[in-house]
Amino acid sequence: MSEQQALLLETTERVLAATARDAPFAEAWPAIAEVQLDLLLMPEQDGGFGGDWEDFFAVARIVGAHATSLPIGEAILGRCLSGLGGFAPTAGTVLVAPQSAGEVDATGRFSGQVKTAPWGSDSGHVVADLAGRIARMRVSHAKRVERGVNPAGEARDTLVFDGAPIEQGEAPVSVWACGALLRTAQIAGALDAALALSIAYANERQQFGKPIGKFQAVQQSLAVFAEEAAAVNCGGQAAARAAMRGEAGFEIAAAKLRANAAAGVGAAVAHQVHGAIGFTQEHALHHFTRRLAAWRSEFGGDAHWAGVLGAAVCARGADVFWADLARRSDVECQALSADGRARID
Amino acid sequence: MQTFSIRRFKAPGDVAALRAGVRAFLTAHQPPADAARRANSWAVTDLGFTRALAKAGYVGMVWPKTYGGGGRHPLERYIVLEELLAAGAPVGMHWIADRQGGPLLLRYGSEQQRERYLPAMARGELFTCIGMSEPGSGSDLASVRTRGRRSDEGWRISGQKVWTTNAHNSHFMIALVRTGEGSQRQEGLTQFLIDLSLPGVSVRPIIDLAGGHDFNEVFLDEVIVSDDMRVGEEGAGWKQVTAELSLERSGPERYLSSLALLLEFIRVSGYGPSETARALIGKLTAELWTLRQMSMSTAAKLADGEEPALEAAIVKDLGNSFEQELPRAIQAASDVDLSADTDFARAMALLLQVSPSFSLRGGTREILRGIIARGLGLR
Repeated sequence: MSEQQALLLETTERVLAATARDAPFAEAWPAIAEVQLDLLLMPEQDGGFGGDWEDFFAVARIVGAHATSLPIGEAILGRCLSGLGGFAPTAGTVLVAPQSAGEVDATGRFSGQVKTAPWGSDSGHVVADLAGRIARMRVSHAKRVERGVNPAGEARDTLVFDGAPIEQGEAPVSVWACGALLRTAQIAGALDAALALSIAYANERQQFGKPIGKFQAVQQSLAVFAEEAAAVNCGGQAAARAAMRGEAGFEIAAAKLRANAAAGVGAAVAHQVHGAIGFTQEHALHHFTRRLAAWRSEFGGDAHWAGVLGAAVCARGADVFWADLARRSDVECQALSADGRARID
Repeated sequence: MQTFSIRRFKAPGDVAALRAGVRAFLTAHQPPADAARRANSWAVTDLGFTRALAKAGYVGMVWPKTYGGGGRHPLERYIVLEELLAAGAPVGMHWIADRQGGPLLLRYGSEQQRERYLPAMARGELFTCIGMSEPGSGSDLASVRTRGRRSDEGWRISGQKVWTTNAHNSHFMIALVRTGEGSQRQEGLTQFLIDLSLPGVSVRPIIDLAGGHDFNEVFLDEVIVSDDMRVGEEGAGWKQVTAELSLERSGPERYLSSLALLLEFIRVSGYGPSETARALIGKLTAELWTLRQMSMSTAAKLADGEEPALEAAIVKDLGNSFEQELPRAIQAASDVDLSADTDFARAMALLLQVSPSFSLRGGTREILRGIIARGLGLR
């Protein structure tokens, strides 16, 4: 890890440790804004950290490990994609959202919705994919704002626009793919945190005269849990590295799909090990497990990414399956397939 | 606590060219083989292929040139291995000698042993098998009872080894023997290079449930072994074996045994697969891709001189579960006549039968998970 990344992670840990988990956005966000974490991916010449996708993954992982609801990752992506989309810098918050749908009329006005926007209603701007391009809307231009939550109680708002001004641009990456990488990192962090809680609990909780962690059945389950957490950490880091080299749609799809499966297994084992106490609101465990359940479906659930990957693989054919896999990881090679068929966006 | 941190896989030289070289070799030398033969290919022996592979410099790749090796980097070897396994090449004959027999001699053997045996191994002419398990000692390897007593001629060794893969084709068995009189468990164990042509040695085949012959029983009846065939110090056997086992555990073969069937499934699914097939192919691809990243990272750490025992156990268990479950998952997603004479059906039929062994060989699942648990601080 570079010194710069170490500093970044230390800053992130410090800020999150000082943040109350259920503090309202307006109360909690200023501390985040003050350290300017949202400028992580912005180039140094634009006043940013000059961080890369590996740095992003590491920070987002910590966000997950703290089970933080604050849209730190969404803000980092919001700034980055605004820049890539050619939008002018803006002082207020800019948060990405997974979905938008609607029409842009001849005068360049947008009528439609931005759905499940993390903290959309609290933000200044939202950035989302729209008809293959990047779009940015000002939240105050929304005709209607519907507050919603995911199963973990994290804000997921719907913004309804009717003839609102909209900025559109081209970016080399989609919000969707970036968001999938973000959730993968958060899942990695949350799994690691839930695993650590589970191991500590298993070593402490005594039944039948010994810690429950001494029982083989419990050990075997926790070993499986660790395997799943390891898979997400590795796959996610590998996807982040691929994103640094160029087009990484395949890797992000694989990493998010793998993370989705792991999220299910890990949360289940964590609750099983903790027994009844882990099922209470008072105990910390649910902050992680409910987020794991929620994040599994955000920025692409299993069915979505399995379909995307499966279609891409079948379109390329069995004969080049291995060669494609090998080429993508060979550092010297191009990330795109030779004939451009079946790219994943 | 981060459960896995990735390590950059930095193989020296032109990696694309290295791969291209192996693929060109395979085009010229790999015998025609259907998917069933390409599956689980590191259990398939082919003497001619092994010799040709060795001649091309792909056996003993990382051993010093002074012993006939290639002096190459471990990650170059890794790339060559995964290319061979992905193609389903029949590498079984030299596999064990290359993976652990030779490395054992390099690490713990005498100079005489290295000079005598490594060159022939590197030429694909000398093969070794693993003499560890016994009828009473599988997962509990420390309970081995094959005994060695000092004698005028060196040692007299008696006992029985079992599940000895490829003993019937091997020249030597590297045996774990109890030499300490009255010793218990990990104490008093010593490794020996036992020439399988010696008097007192008999090798009997064990046919597996699919009709394959990999396993053997090896009986040792007062076999006279000279002391210069002892590998390493007397009593150092357990330490040496532990190191050897971790080598056995890491490697691309731990998740690629079922690849041939996945490729067949993609092939028969065609360009317009059913939704079920497409989804399953996507899921299996994500799992395989992830395992490859984990395997490469572990290999990179090993190449850096580290001992990532926890990560190696994690990757092995996860890989074995993947390659074991794959045939069943594809079966469930397919309308296949398992008696049909198609590549797809034959490969599936074979893997459904042999896949139970994937979580038994080289470290049984339950033992690996116990090792992982210990690594997590639970024991």
